[in-house]
Amino acid sequence: MIFNIYSRCQSKEEASGIVKMAAENSLEEQDVNMEENTPSKEQGVQKMFTLKKWNAVAMWSWDVECDTCAICRVQVMDACLRCQSDNKQEECVVIWGECNHSFHNCCMSLWVVQNNRCPLCQQEWVVQRIGR
Amino acid sequence: MITLAKKIKEERDKKEKGNRATESPKGSRISVRDKLLTKEVTELDENVPESCKVDFKDPNVLHEFTLTVTPGEGYWKEGIFIFHVMIPEEYNIKPPHVLCETKIWHPNISENGEVCLSLLREHTLDGSGWAPTRKLKDIVWGLNSLFTDLLNFDDPLNVEASELYFKNKESFRRRVEDYIRLYASPRR
Ligand SMILES: [Zn+2]
Ligand SMILES: [Zn+2]
Ligand SMILES: [Zn+2]
Repeated sequence: MIFNIYSRCQSKEEASGIVKMAAENSLEEQDVNMEENTPSKEQGVQKMFTLKKWNAVAMWSWDVECDTCAICRVQVMDACLRCQSDNKQEECVVIWGECNHSFHNCCMSLWVVQNNRCPLCQQEWVVQRIGR
Repeated sequence: MITLAKKIKEERDKKEKGNRATESPKGSRISVRDKLLTKEVTELDENVPESCKVDFKDPNVLHEFTLTVTPGEGYWKEGIFIFHVMIPEEYNIKPPHVLCETKIWHPNISENGEVCLSLLREHTLDGSGWAPTRKLKDIVWGLNSLFTDLLNFDDPLNVEASELYFKNKESFRRRVEDYIRLYASPRR
């Protein structure tokens, strides 16, 4: 038997991620009472199985919707497409607007020259912070 | 397309090995535009309206293609209209450039082939113009819609066409059909 639990972390400060938990329990044949005519003598309630072992596995990944730079389409936590091909990964930082949308600073600085609006929500672009 | 995708993969493999000596010389490096286009072109193949056909002349050149639209309804039904799409080096900061190569009588396409489609506009005050979030498939769908949903007689590029429409819809229809017969019919 496998249990899959998906939960989403949406808080702003925390990286939003997806937690996947897979749990397996192992069944031991003796504990499964399949014969309907012989109810358990001790409890009187028929017991289908007993949980003997529980292995929990957790994974996380970036939430693609919020964390991909809409301009170069690379995750904001990685260097932008330009910096990757110029081998300038270290210099590539992230910029957040008042609208809470984030992009690579490199990508946004090219875009605002053309149109000083957020490409995602069309609001006027006002810088909230720059960093990692 | 396949050739370029392979070239990009080879370059990536080279980089991963960290062997700087074998790095490709300047000039042959794949541009940001071409990297973006590799993904978009794959998407394009799977996501084009029935009335549209996309053709790349050279499989190594992703920044230039023709779009053939054969509308299945409306005034331009069954005409064959060819658009030439050029994607500038600064893509996706700058929008693609589109020219209609088929002479057409249409309020939003001039007789010289200039196309008036808001999402191709570089500078707009509202949010209707170009944005890097847009992709080639949006342009294909947009051009296709110029024959149906996005057809706009109130803000014309070909003023004469729009005026004729408001004056006499039947003459407008006839003029459209004349143009199709002359310029947008299959070659025999
Ligand atoms: Zn970016
Ligand atoms: Zn960068
Ligand atoms: Zn925004």
